Amino acid sequence: MLAIDILIQGFIQGSIYALIALGLTLVYGLLRILHVAHASLFTLGGYLGVLITNATGSLFLALILAMIVVGFVGMLSYRILYRPLLSQPPLIALIASIGIFIASEEIFRIIFGPFSISYVAAPLQNQIEILPGISMSEARIMVVLLAFVLLLGVNWLSRRTRLGIATRATVVDPDMAMSSGVNVDVIRYSIFFIGSAFAAAAGVMVSLLNNLVEPTMGAVPSYKALAIIVLGGLGSVRGALIASLLLGIIETFGTIYLDDLLDRDSIAFAFLILVLMIRPKGIFSKG
Amino acid sequence: MLDVQHMISRYGPVTALHDASFTLEGGEALALVGTNGAGKTTLVMSIAGHVIPESGHVILDNENITEIPSHIRARRGIGLVPEGRRVFPDLTVKENLITGGYVLPRSSEQQRLNDVYDIFPRLHERANQLAGSLSGGEQQMLAFGRAIMLNPKVMLIDEISLGLMPKVINECYAVLEKLREKNISIILVDQNSDAALSFADKAIWLESGHVKWQGLARDCPLSKGSAVY
Repeated sequence: MLAIDILIQGFIQGSIYALIALGLTLVYGLLRILHVAHASLFTLGGYLGVLITNATGSLFLALILAMIVVGFVGMLSYRILYRPLLSQPPLIALIASIGIFIASEEIFRIIFGPFSISYVAAPLQNQIEILPGISMSEARIMVVLLAFVLLLGVNWLSRRTRLGIATRATVVDPDMAMSSGVNVDVIRYSIFFIGSAFAAAAGVMVSLLNNLVEPTMGAVPSYKALAIIVLGGLGSVRGALIASLLLGIIETFGTIYLDDLLDRDSIAFAFLILVLMIRPKGIFSKG
Repeated sequence: MLDVQHMISRYGPVTALHDASFTLEGGEALALVGTNGAGKTTLVMSIAGHVIPESGHVILDNENITEIPSHIRARRGIGLVPEGRRVFPDLTVKENLITGGYVLPRSSEQQRLNDVYDIFPRLHERANQLAGSLSGGEQQMLAFGRAIMLNPKVMLIDEISLGLMPKVINECYAVLEKLREKNISIILVDQNSDAALSFADKAIWLESGHVKWQGLARDCPLSKGSAVY
């Protein structure tokens, strides 16, 4: 029973990682840029989730608004940060992205204060028995359901809509996509919107699970998400999703059984190193 | 219909194309011939918008499209079948075709798919297969089909026969003939210059980026039928 419980906890953790890593993977696939500042959008989502819920009493409204606002902030980050640097080597954009991420922590500190903020009345805290002897808070159930719905939605968008098909074409060969009439810039804006909105959803979910947000809450997810997209094979959406779930489960098992030796983050990176020793280009890399 | 005036294109400090000019009416075909590095692909890519010319103009139906990006040129009716096909390998055949017709209304998508399937029945058979798994000839058909989905006014075809079996090459030329009958103008690059010159109305012979000769295809010095050959 303990193993099932840990597996479920790992699945929840993995779902959050998947929401964060998806945006990062999409941006990498499209622009070949490691969008480190993505973690700032995760933090912004968390803050908006708490502040809007506290102001309105509606977590649902907070989630929707956070996703929309952060989606637009993501598009803005493409416009002012990456678009002018597209003709430069990817390292330049990476350095700029790290700079924005560091600066954003200070901006959050200035705007929201140095201390954590919590929900006035944390929503979805009732326990529900999901299996005999295993209970889970409504918040945890919501994390899994939300991740499932959003990831299913993006899969539908990618496979069933012309925008999704054009996006996949643009990832493979932007010049030929343009010669088919696809406005690559519109595709890039769309990807930044979707990826950022997903990061916001993850931020709201983490704020709900921890019942707090703080300026540095993006730090761990930022390097964890980078590890995930490397683990999954850079640019592979399927790889990132599976790597997210794997990492969540391994981490959770590790914290129970290896707690005396390694902490949670060390376990994650030990796993990353181990996998990369066997498959240097990640689990789902074609190369 | 298409008027290219005094086009000069560079790659960094290297001038790859010096002062190329020609006009093409609806249904006319132009063959670009010459050795590797002559500037044929540069001219094609300059018309498609992937190489921005240093000077000169590209005018399509009296509209100067020299400065506009390639996706808008595609919307104006410039279709491209590039060297090496460059199909989207991770997309299915049908998805490749849908991408080709991305700019046109969704309501006409199925009709255009049917039109392409009529020309290339094999693409219909393989509609749900990944493009990367097709043979070279099938990928060339797909590249054609993708450009046809756009309802082009001008088709740019770079290295039509590269790496293809003679039977497939003949099929490709048969398709070009059908397109010409539909009043689509064709600009064609083929290593087999004799095949290109036999098909085309006009020809430009490029060498080291310079126009060495220009005129009716049947009079081209590189043509088997010409007195110079």
